[in-house]
Amino acid sequence: MSAAAAETRQTGRRRSRGAVESATRGRAWAKTALLAVIFLWCLAPFFWLIMTSLKVEDSALNSPDLFQGPFGFKNYGNVFEQNFDLNLRNSLAVAGMTTILCVVIGSLAGYAIARLPLRGKILLLTGILAVSLFPPVALVPPLYELWLKLGLLNTYEGLYIPYTSFTLPLTIFILTTFFAAIPKELEEAAKVDGATPFKAFFRVILPLAAPGVFAAAIIIFVSAWNEFLLANTFAPRDPEVAQTVPVAISQFTGAVDFQRPIGNITAACVVVTIPMIIVALAFQKRIIAGLTAGSLKG
Amino acid sequence: MRRSKQLGKWVIAVAAGTLVLAAACTPSGDDDDEGSGGGELVWAIGGAEAQPAGVDQKIADLWNEQNPDNPITIEVLPDEADQQREQQVNVLQSGSDEFDVLGTDVIWTGEYSQNGWLESLEDVRDQIEPEVLEGAFNSAQWDGELWAAPFNTNAGFLYYRTDLVDQPPETWDELCQIAEQVGQQEDIGGLIGQGFKYEGFVVNWLEYYWSAGGELYNEDNSEVLFDTDLATQTTEFMQNAMDDGCFAPGFNTATEEEGRAAFQSGKAVFMRNWPYAYQLIQDEGVPQVAKNFDIAPLPTFTGEGTISALGGFNNAVSAYSSNKDAAKEFVVWAATDPEVQKMLATVASVPPVLTSVYDELQNEPDMALLSEVLPDAKPRPPAPTWNTISVEMQDALFPAYNGDADPAEASDTVADAFNESVEE
Amino acid sequence: MAGAKVATEPRTPSGTGPGGPRTKGMSEKGLGRLFVAPAILLMIGVALFPVIYAFVISLRAYTGRLYEGYAGLENYREALTDDKFWASLEFTLVFTVTSVAAEFVIGLGFALLMNQAFRGRGITRAAILVPWVIPTVIAAQMWYFMFNVNPGSVNALLGLGDFNWLGEAGWVKAVLIFADVWKTAPFVALLLLAGLQTIPTDIYESARVDGANTWQRFWHITLPLLRPAILVALLFRTVEALRVYDLPQVMTRGSFDTESLSMVVQQYVVQTPDPGLGSALSTLTFGIILGIGVIFVSLLGRELTIGRTDG
Repeated sequence: MSAAAAETRQTGRRRSRGAVESATRGRAWAKTALLAVIFLWCLAPFFWLIMTSLKVEDSALNSPDLFQGPFGFKNYGNVFEQNFDLNLRNSLAVAGMTTILCVVIGSLAGYAIARLPLRGKILLLTGILAVSLFPPVALVPPLYELWLKLGLLNTYEGLYIPYTSFTLPLTIFILTTFFAAIPKELEEAAKVDGATPFKAFFRVILPLAAPGVFAAAIIIFVSAWNEFLLANTFAPRDPEVAQTVPVAISQFTGAVDFQRPIGNITAACVVVTIPMIIVALAFQKRIIAGLTAGSLKG
Repeated sequence: MRRSKQLGKWVIAVAAGTLVLAAACTPSGDDDDEGSGGGELVWAIGGAEAQPAGVDQKIADLWNEQNPDNPITIEVLPDEADQQREQQVNVLQSGSDEFDVLGTDVIWTGEYSQNGWLESLEDVRDQIEPEVLEGAFNSAQWDGELWAAPFNTNAGFLYYRTDLVDQPPETWDELCQIAEQVGQQEDIGGLIGQGFKYEGFVVNWLEYYWSAGGELYNEDNSEVLFDTDLATQTTEFMQNAMDDGCFAPGFNTATEEEGRAAFQSGKAVFMRNWPYAYQLIQDEGVPQVAKNFDIAPLPTFTGEGTISALGGFNNAVSAYSSNKDAAKEFVVWAATDPEVQKMLATVASVPPVLTSVYDELQNEPDMALLSEVLPDAKPRPPAPTWNTISVEMQDALFPAYNGDADPAEASDTVADAFNESVEE
Repeated sequence: MAGAKVATEPRTPSGTGPGGPRTKGMSEKGLGRLFVAPAILLMIGVALFPVIYAFVISLRAYTGRLYEGYAGLENYREALTDDKFWASLEFTLVFTVTSVAAEFVIGLGFALLMNQAFRGRGITRAAILVPWVIPTVIAAQMWYFMFNVNPGSVNALLGLGDFNWLGEAGWVKAVLIFADVWKTAPFVALLLLAGLQTIPTDIYESARVDGANTWQRFWHITLPLLRPAILVALLFRTVEALRVYDLPQVMTRGSFDTESLSMVVQQYVVQTPDPGLGSALSTLTFGIILGIGVIFVSLLGRELTIGRTDG
């Protein structure tokens, strides 16, 4: 290599570095602008929620101006006077149980469909999907009757059992796609090393599918947490027993009939959203972590 | 391998946490109402007043003081009437004796009785009929039989701004004239009411229709008297009111609370609303409105008298109750005991059904006005198919008054719905 | 991958790896059945019963809630000749197509962004999730309140005076779709983010070495490898959107032709009960959604069982 050639390459590199720098700066600006738009889109309504929850009494009705008070924490006090902590507990228990059951049962089924020899897989998938397609409101009358006979009304079981069955299809679909995406060589290698199919699943496949598992877990948790129709029918009233958060919020009343307690509703909403974001973030961290730690080469 | 262990730990931690939680709070206290506790009653009623701090609870406490053998507890139903009905229906359809006394909206009487869910109250008719308001009483009977005891009633008021209007209008046309003129001057809306597509819209529409002289059924509900021409005129009136700015902006998306929001923030000259708003506007409206408003009877098209649709709740005895005698005693007591009925008005500003209470409370403007309008107020017919009729009315009349459908065709659809209700 | 398959395929059916005679007790086929069994049993136990129940009821005649006898297919005839059914079908389809398309685009954008390393990523991820964790019933109430003319929060924000979002024929649907997209785009984002995480980084590296630009890498690597996750996200968003209930029920009550299929079902099951007609409508709705679902599954099924069709 001649010295001249080396030099041209040097300057070329330098020049391109300068170009890259200005390009990155431009890109950084674009990115910041994009982030601003996203924050506005996602958080503006939430900001409205917070401001409204801080307006005392009915001042939210008098003016749409977010910054016009009087402000105070009275609504939050009202929310916790109504046993809202018990509702949070119930929702946590029901959504938690649903998540565990769904992930365990769904992983097994997803692995079988993605990896093990089963006949009529497409038919099986269609059947599984079909489970979640019936109009929910039409599920209520027959299930209510059944639940009444089985004594499942106003119990945690009465909620997490149907939640599990109706969320399983989504779980299985998510997990199946993730299991299917994992290179087969890894599993085969484990088997060559003497692992049983069972071990291969637990030691190799499941950890590699961690992003999928955690994505599924958040989705299950949130949908169980937010479910309204079944919860409102099967455990409608008693917060001591199994009444969940959305049901409780929907039943807030004003001080007199007809009055809609918009302050209390928004306050409760804020109270619920914060722990949910923490849970979702904790799970979501695992999705991202899946890549860095679980390098696909095993 | 390390990752799999980590994942495992995570799952186990979450699982353990949840299980502990689930175990720690497994329901244990729900057995006590299953015990066949001799005289205990359960009163399934919803809304703000059924809450622990509400007047219904105070009424229950009073009953329990006087009847320690048949204590009553409230099973609090949701705020919205539709949901209250749904929950009662679930329990009743399963034939459960969970509820003894049912707080029923005035329009459910026919449906519940037809399904065999209610105990007839014919044997206590004489104790109730002479004491209570006629309209409220009519809402509790169907097919000539008494199925519930009236508990509280409700009627529409015209709220108006005294700083903008000298005299409350007596006809709807006069109202619209003022609404448009003053609204334009002040750059605010005219009349706000309940124009969203829901039961409240039917109530508002009926008030216009009735005040034009329309009828729905004859005396014993055996014959339909629905007047399609009058109905068309009514819908056209609303349509024009929308177009001309007689109705305030947002009329067609307003329920009670949106109406109150518009009025108490000074965005409307007039409001049609229930009495509940009277105290709230004084307490919470912007000062200009809180100090400068008054209530009047709703106008009519003829300028004579006043018409309002009745709201309110009755108390019925469940046919599956295991303690019907005590339940019956309770509903009669709640309808006719002066102390109870007065509590409704004084503690909660809920319009009572007992006639004598109104004589006592003539000093309170809202109660005085109620005693003036209630004798002319009409209940929506508590027919078994009222919900079907109401849905048909909403489906047909809402688009018509919003200019998306022909008012005359809409009237025909509604007429069909009424005719069907009688054929069945 | 093909090599591995050829090498192992003959071995697996017998269930004996070279080092593992202990697997003899359970063949892979047996294991497959065992793994699927709990899910199937649970789903059949809870979900099949109502479907059969509804189908049986749909063949009966009722007046109100009172049983009148066998009706054959009369309820289906009535449902199919009901204008309400067709109007709601039309709205539901329009709603589904537009909202799912918008959710996909926005969700994919969110996912690509969340997948990148930048300062403030944690807080961005939290922000993106906020809309999704608010219960739909409550979100619907919130939007109803905000878009309403009184007190008029949205109008105040945008300086629009008394614009009647929920009371003008053209705007009502747009508001509903907006509310749905706002609420569920994060769901799509989460699923796609997880999908992005399984794409090995070395593929991008080698593409970059080959001189592929950002767009080419997105088009030729990201999208194809993301296909299964995209299909799952679209499938479940589509079937959810086809059953939409809370948003129109709370925000419009079906005014201005915004009544969804589920709302019509709800009307006949709960509000103005006619169990026969209600069940027929549910069964029809179920059939329509299943039909659309099957298209997705056959697309997805090919994806998932590639290389296993012979197993």
